[in-house]
Amino acid sequence: MTAYIIRRLLILPIMLLGITMIIFSMIWMLGPERLIGAYIKSPEALRSNDAQERLIRKYGLDQPFYVQYGKWLGNLLQGDLGYSNVGRTAVTKAIGSRLPYTAELAIYSIIPVVVVGIWLGVIAGARHNTFWDHGIRIFAIIGWSLPDYVFGLLVLLVFYSFLGWFPPGYLSESSMAVLRSDEWRTVTKFATIDSLINGRLDIFVDAFRHLIAPIITISYLWWAFILRITRSSMLEVLRKDYVRTARAKGLPEKVVINKHVRRNAMIPVATVSGGMIVQLFAGTVIVETVFARPGLGKFTADAAVQLDYFSIIGSALFFSFILIVANLVVDISYALIDPRIRLK
Amino acid sequence: MSKKLFVLVLALVLVSLAAFSAVKNPDTLIVAQYGSPESLDPQAMWDTASGEVVSTLYENLIRYDGESIDMIPMISTAVPTMENGLLTPDGKVYTFPIRKGVLFHSGNTLTPADVEYTFERGFLGDNSSGAMTLIIEAVSGGQYFSIESWFEDWAGMAYSDAVIDREPVSEEARAKLIEFYEEVIDPLFVVEGDNFVVNMKGSFGPFLYTICYYAGWAGILDAEWMKVNGAWDGKADGWWKWHDLQPEESPIHMDADAGSGPFKLQVWDQENKTVVLQRFDQYWQGPAKLKSVILRDIEEFSTRKALLEAGDVDLIAVDPIYRGTFDNTPGVTVIEGFPRAQVTSIHFTWAVDPASEYIGSGQFDGEGIPYNFFDDINTRKAILHSFNYDALIEDLVNGLGERVPTDLPKGFFGYDPNLPMYEFDLGMAEQAWKAAWDGQAWENGFKLVAMYNSGNEVRQTCCEMIKVYTESMNPKFKVDVIGAQWPTYLKATRERLCPLYIIGWVADYPDAHNFLSTYYHSEGYYGQRHGGSYTALAEAQFNELIEKGVREPNPVKRLEYYDLLQRRLLENYVSTPLYMPQGLWVGRSWVQGYFPHILRSNGDTTPEYYYAWKAE
Repeated sequence: MTAYIIRRLLILPIMLLGITMIIFSMIWMLGPERLIGAYIKSPEALRSNDAQERLIRKYGLDQPFYVQYGKWLGNLLQGDLGYSNVGRTAVTKAIGSRLPYTAELAIYSIIPVVVVGIWLGVIAGARHNTFWDHGIRIFAIIGWSLPDYVFGLLVLLVFYSFLGWFPPGYLSESSMAVLRSDEWRTVTKFATIDSLINGRLDIFVDAFRHLIAPIITISYLWWAFILRITRSSMLEVLRKDYVRTARAKGLPEKVVINKHVRRNAMIPVATVSGGMIVQLFAGTVIVETVFARPGLGKFTADAAVQLDYFSIIGSALFFSFILIVANLVVDISYALIDPRIRLK
Repeated sequence: MSKKLFVLVLALVLVSLAAFSAVKNPDTLIVAQYGSPESLDPQAMWDTASGEVVSTLYENLIRYDGESIDMIPMISTAVPTMENGLLTPDGKVYTFPIRKGVLFHSGNTLTPADVEYTFERGFLGDNSSGAMTLIIEAVSGGQYFSIESWFEDWAGMAYSDAVIDREPVSEEARAKLIEFYEEVIDPLFVVEGDNFVVNMKGSFGPFLYTICYYAGWAGILDAEWMKVNGAWDGKADGWWKWHDLQPEESPIHMDADAGSGPFKLQVWDQENKTVVLQRFDQYWQGPAKLKSVILRDIEEFSTRKALLEAGDVDLIAVDPIYRGTFDNTPGVTVIEGFPRAQVTSIHFTWAVDPASEYIGSGQFDGEGIPYNFFDDINTRKAILHSFNYDALIEDLVNGLGERVPTDLPKGFFGYDPNLPMYEFDLGMAEQAWKAAWDGQAWENGFKLVAMYNSGNEVRQTCCEMIKVYTESMNPKFKVDVIGAQWPTYLKATRERLCPLYIIGWVADYPDAHNFLSTYYHSEGYYGQRHGGSYTALAEAQFNELIEKGVREPNPVKRLEYYDLLQRRLLENYVSTPLYMPQGLWVGRSWVQGYFPHILRSNGDTTPEYYYAWKAE
């Protein structure tokens, strides 16, 4: 397995290079007359007749593909992805500054999504066609059918407007004031972790309170997906001969499920988890909008709508990287889940 | 449920409810609106979101008195008039005695030299996203709208021929640029002892209004701080390097301020879309009651509503579409129906940048429009007859608005309620579409983009109305409705990227010229965005009337000019106002000190922060 991992890590840069070429090609196909719009700052820049031609030459947009790609790749390797109109700063800085917000929410969401989703799926599968199975499936259908915008607002209404427990936003204003002060040491840019590093349990609690409502929203929407996959996989494994043999041997049902069935049912779950992690890291526009949280989802959506090319490229590259890494983790997890699988 | 659990839940709910009634964050005013500032450089902004902040950080020479439009001193110790001798009888020389003892946020003392620097930097910079055109027009006696046109007229060469990529093309050009500053600009603004003097090129009635607070673009800058931090160095040689910079190239764009106002900039947090202002304790009128002001950009109305009801924000922006939502909400005050000197309109770009993504294929093939789509009067006519104006007023803004015939608010000089207004008539619209582009539009179809600023649900719905009615006439017609973040939206409209958009104008000063010139003069802030054949049309039919109107002292004659102008505008289907809004202010009842002012940016959402405080 070690050799497999090393091989995959060595291939990683080649895959990324391929992705950069594809993404750059798509943008390059727009042509210099359209691309110059990303460089022109005001109509006055095009006042004279030859202004567009001059600017195209100045920014090298008339150069052959390989020259432009090489220059762009060189800039990329130095961390220069251009200027983001949406973020009003360099693209790398715009993405980098928003990533911790999204990552914090994603990481805290993964645990309930995966753990609870699998747990419910196992119960539904193990108690097939019982009240529990039907109840969990109805729960899943509602989650799958409910638009995340509607559910998010419902969560906001119940847990904040009515109960006042979980406010929207990133932190309360008093906590934000502390974060902006000189006494605060930013280490990870995760409010929950940095607050503990700074010895501020009150800010940790505040940060967590602000996370719960978005986590509930994200989790419910993903539980529906995970538990259905788990349930289907469980049902398939339950029909295997070795499971019948285990029961015939007189093993308790709990042991059959936990020792023989559950683990073997996790392969499809692992497969979809990779994509799910990418989507969580991509941020969810709706959750960020409803709960007024900063993050990459809204940033990327705004960049797409406003045709902010540099931001779009930067976001695409970033998510591609996350996807490749996630898939590698998923592939490794196959071997851990099922010893029959040997990674070569 | 067990008894214990019931009691626990009840206790939690009661505690939650009890927490709502006490004044939260008593020293801090928190505002939730939609739209972030474009820039905090007073001379690089002209939008309400930026103006909201800038007018708190900076101060002007003079200001309005309370809710009225009477002027009183601010940084100047007197308002120049002919009666007090600070304005010459020919209306060309204004003298402003500068107040002593005013400190900037940096600790520097404000002097007349700072005022001189402010005006000269503004003129020479003449940022295309800023409002200096108002003052340039005024000081030039109505002759010029931009420093480039002034230079071109004086030097006999176009600015774009003299300077390329921030460098003079030749030594001759460089000499001309230096001479332009020394002979034209420098003499306009001089320091005489403790006074700042403006030597106008011609009299211009509304001049004082163009620099009166709440006009953020006339905020006085800390010259010393600016020079140290990379702004124009105050010298003749090289001023062009700072001409029409991008907002982000300014040292006071987002990270710092150079003002003397009652609040200073603590931070503009881009990720959290929050601006935090901190009280300036050395403010010359004494420190404000509030310690800080926090302005948050929250697009989703439901979220803003929830925050207000919980008391976690004090004021929110509410579109009139939600009028009535807070009628019975405890702890929330609603004030509505007060006048707003503003108009919201449909705008056309007559010649879109051919490189724009928003024209799709660029042809009549059902997947785009030609870049000069709206050059044809029939296209404009069709759109303007496809809009249900009554539904907008009655249903969308819930009666908090009224129609006006042109982009001139009711009550302004020149407003005529008897002028005709475009009717919602799909029959006429269809005829116009069939005539447009010799029938090409009708036969081949098109795909048109209609744009609004995201978060503004009224404008979004207006765009969707255009979509519904336009598409209903011909299955080959497609309208895409796109929302853009406020700063990007402004940039797209300025760069002529979007063919159709909805935008408003809040009066900069209480005179008809501010609207008529802005909207219709070929060099007006909105007028210049049309492009295409609009320029020739305006030069032939509108410009002269606008220029004559502002200079005409006889009100009867002035009225004749404006009447003829408006009739010509209507005949040519230039654009149309959708409505003139009335104010709707929604906030927690513990917010005190609010008074509306028709000329204040976001005046229907926020108070003047210096005078505001929180108490039940």
